[in-house]
Amino acid sequence: MKTSIEILTPKTLTEILGILSERQEILTLIAGGTDVITGLKQESKRFKDTEVLVDVNHVPELKEIKHMPEKITIGAAATFSEIYNNSIVSNELPILKKAVSTIGSMQIRNRATIAGNFVNNAPCADTVPALLVYNATIEIESMNSKRETYLQEFLQGPYKTQLKKDEVVTKINIPVPTKSFTGDFYKLGRRRAVAISRITLAVLMELKENKINKIRIASGSVTPIGTRFPELEIFAMENDVNDNLFKTLASRMGEEIIKITGLRWSSAYKLPVVQQMFYQLLKGIERRSL
Amino acid sequence: MAKKFSVVGKPVIREDGIDKVTGKAKFADDYKFNGMLHAVMLRIPCAHAKINSIDFSEIQNDESVFSIITNKDIPGTKKVGVIKNDQPVFCNEKVVTPGDVLGMIVGQSEEKLRSLVNKIKVDYSTLPLLTDPQKSLEPDAILIHPETKSNLIIHHPLRKGNVEKGFTESDHILEQTYTTQLIEHAYIEPEAVSAIPLGAGGIKIIGSIQNPFTTRRIVAAVVNLPLDKVQIIQAHLGGSFGGKDDTMCILAARAAVAALKTDHPVKIRYTREESILESYKRHPYILNYKVGFAKTGKIKAMRIDILADGGAYCSMSPFVTWRSVVQATGPYEIKNVHTDVRAVYTNNPYTGAMRGFGSPQPIFANESLMDEIALRLGMTPDEVRKINGLKEGSITATGQRLKNHDVNLLNVLSTAMKNTDFKKKWINNKKKESQLGELDLSQPVLKDSQYMNPDQLIKKGIGLAISYRGCSLGAEGIDAAAAYLSIQNDGSAYLLSGLAENGQGLRTTFSIVAAEVLGISHEQIFYLETDTSRVPDSGPTVASRATLMGGGAVKNAAEIILDRLISLIRKEWKLKKKDEIEFKENKIFVNKNKISTFPDLCKLAANRGVNLATIGWYKSPTVDWNEHTGQGDAYFTYVYGCHVAEVQVNLGTGEVYLDRITAVHDPGTVINKLGAEGQVYGGVTQGAGYGIIEEVTTDRGVIREQNFDQYLILTSKDIGEIKPIFIQGKEIFGPWGAKSLGEPTLELTAAAISNAVCNAVGKRFFNLPLNLEEIVLGKKLRPEEIKRGSLQ
Repeated sequence: MKTSIEILTPKTLTEILGILSERQEILTLIAGGTDVITGLKQESKRFKDTEVLVDVNHVPELKEIKHMPEKITIGAAATFSEIYNNSIVSNELPILKKAVSTIGSMQIRNRATIAGNFVNNAPCADTVPALLVYNATIEIESMNSKRETYLQEFLQGPYKTQLKKDEVVTKINIPVPTKSFTGDFYKLGRRRAVAISRITLAVLMELKENKINKIRIASGSVTPIGTRFPELEIFAMENDVNDNLFKTLASRMGEEIIKITGLRWSSAYKLPVVQQMFYQLLKGIERRSL
Repeated sequence: MAKKFSVVGKPVIREDGIDKVTGKAKFADDYKFNGMLHAVMLRIPCAHAKINSIDFSEIQNDESVFSIITNKDIPGTKKVGVIKNDQPVFCNEKVVTPGDVLGMIVGQSEEKLRSLVNKIKVDYSTLPLLTDPQKSLEPDAILIHPETKSNLIIHHPLRKGNVEKGFTESDHILEQTYTTQLIEHAYIEPEAVSAIPLGAGGIKIIGSIQNPFTTRRIVAAVVNLPLDKVQIIQAHLGGSFGGKDDTMCILAARAAVAALKTDHPVKIRYTREESILESYKRHPYILNYKVGFAKTGKIKAMRIDILADGGAYCSMSPFVTWRSVVQATGPYEIKNVHTDVRAVYTNNPYTGAMRGFGSPQPIFANESLMDEIALRLGMTPDEVRKINGLKEGSITATGQRLKNHDVNLLNVLSTAMKNTDFKKKWINNKKKESQLGELDLSQPVLKDSQYMNPDQLIKKGIGLAISYRGCSLGAEGIDAAAAYLSIQNDGSAYLLSGLAENGQGLRTTFSIVAAEVLGISHEQIFYLETDTSRVPDSGPTVASRATLMGGGAVKNAAEIILDRLISLIRKEWKLKKKDEIEFKENKIFVNKNKISTFPDLCKLAANRGVNLATIGWYKSPTVDWNEHTGQGDAYFTYVYGCHVAEVQVNLGTGEVYLDRITAVHDPGTVINKLGAEGQVYGGVTQGAGYGIIEEVTTDRGVIREQNFDQYLILTSKDIGEIKPIFIQGKEIFGPWGAKSLGEPTLELTAAAISNAVCNAVGKRFFNLPLNLEEIVLGKKLRPEEIKRGSLQ
């Protein structure tokens, strides 16, 4: 582990952006630190040039959760505990709330932040499938620019994102889901707390006269990064909701995962289980919405 | 109950509890000394290699390096061991496991030393690896320790009756193979020890040490000093579970060598990774059982063949496997038994003592087997156990007749069943065939028929396991313990035993014992720091022997003092023989009339010159053992237990949800109810982890899970209700008949869970742990590379 490291604690977003405008190669943003600190300790190559940590925890606007007319915005540095205990999230984003509740332990949830989860972009990031089915966009700022992008586009590969060295994620925007949406989140770990997910699944759908009007499907830990399944979603649209459809969707998900991921040491277990549990998830949603 | 206790059997909060939860308790790494240096280990990432040379030239002149310590600096014994001296303190010729240490660099900054240690150039030639214990006894097997001429560490045979005859008399024969895995103790505190040079050539050691007297013996041999020149002090210990014995002895010895060479205090403290890498583990076993039984359920014969992977060093293997040979049949009276238990050397991490000590492995096998017999005969699990279970006067597999204590095996069984409504649930849950879908791995996409009805996804099961366990060391060796008790003239008291507080709550238990005898409060007793220079050698704190042996010694010490006080009272108050003296609630009563208080009496004793300090002693009755036939009175008494596991199994994922574990134990008299319940909660949780999740895997002898991100133990959320129930059987030994509990609480859980899983899904599992892949695929999956993607 590095013998010394400098920590800066800017108090405003402008201050953060100012710091990021120079010496970027030696700077690393830190929020909860649940990935950065362990990464530094384990001498992860991702932090080999890090000499200065920029702590974004002291900027109030990065922690706000607000209900706007069309969207809900969540500050990038909102912790999982803050999100879990927030009434807007409870009322409007139950799938995110459930995903958050499965993360680590109370201590980890008290520190870890939502942007940290996807900026790190581990395949097993628990909130990613939930954010993907909510069509989340993220706002990114640097000294000279401000942009908004879909999370799916932001995520580029395992531990890789679009984020540039001078940029910071400021907020997550989620279009307010209409009340006709229903859905669920599923996580499988080797134990029921402090568990890295083996499989995560998120589904959001809108039924109309027993047909699927809209559906969004995402998974984590079974593909190199959390991902949506557009082909599966298109296939499902306007189909009658019945047991056969669910079985077909689940098996198609299996095929898609083989296409994306190929066969790995864990496939013998994960492939049948992800299909089975996706089917179970759909059946559960069907039962609750009928 | 014969005697009405004032404090024994009540729930008492442990005396070190508040200090531990508020951070005041000093653990080994909290000690710092003037001029203290750190020592950092030199290792090579290889399980079997010949060392050609070590080149320190690049670092030896670095100002951070105060001294370099190797094998050449050892004044005494260069190889050590708790039983056999086969483990080098520093390896100078070869390494046989990746935990091996070649030398140390010593200096002020541990951080700098850690960055320098990689610059030492070790020239080594790799040697062929032996990692499969089943190949270790083949004629052309590589020898781990060539001087021993064989990889056999120990062979324990047991011969009783005639098994072949028993098999021919049987209506049914069952033969099965079971395997159990390598696991880590996972104590919360990694190893730490400091050695401080004393004047006159002596040395003081303070560390996270489980067995101070064993450590003293080994340090003394390594630094070539008489025992009295080596003082071992135990710091508050952050868990051990049998794991801070050999490793700590050798760490203490290394620190001592460095301290004496540099004339500075030297501290060694391990990271979690080093701790997991170097410390010994629980033995993996391969167990073959053949059992013959009549259609009535009566077992006629049992042939058992067990192979234990001892890893690179002997450590406790001979004793661990000895307990296995005694208990391998399970708690059943079987006329014909033929058992062989062998432990062998391999290049795997070495294995030694761990809570349970050679019992969880055979219990998993024999209790699975008992359920299979029941299923074969259409019986319930309790029926076949009642037919064969040990009773008063039964003869065990070692030919020992059980007597002089309540043989409560069937009593714990029926209590557990009654409390769980076992029979009804077991019959309701029982499946005729496997509920687990057969997966065709060449067809990874599921067919419609493979999707499960959500109402059928989760299956409930109930299972039980029973055991008997010999208390204390048995025929392993001399079994005696001491306690020092010194009453002050205000009625307060110092207490110290030669056994160590390893987190089990022994200080509180012993204070309760002394308080009960003297009719005072346990809060009046100040338990002293464990220190080899203050109290006689009492053997190791192992084998669930502390309450029984150390408690016996404390009671003896308190009774000696009590006798002296009674004599004083009789003289001072001129009492007659028939006058009854009673010590109660810190007061003294004669014929129910209060005559004095305990503090006043102690002051009087001081004024009259009465000695109120003493050493109590407790020695076990003799046991006997014939090592050629495996026959004899192996232990002087036994305890009995039954666990019932109620589980749900997710057929889709293979998850086993632990809804409730009911743990019924007969530990004899319970001294501290809270402490006893704590043993059950902890032991059951550890045993459940062994059953469903824990496993150390190795790649060419190198442990892959070197921290708790990858080595998973159960959390409190993974286990439902744990219900302890105590049956307090009569016993003539120990303080008021208090025996053993620590290890029995762990040894049964995995077997009970496995039987419950079988009840739930209609399929038996033979290989621990019953993790996700084992349940769904019937096998373990091993990644080739477990390095985190996040580190690339």
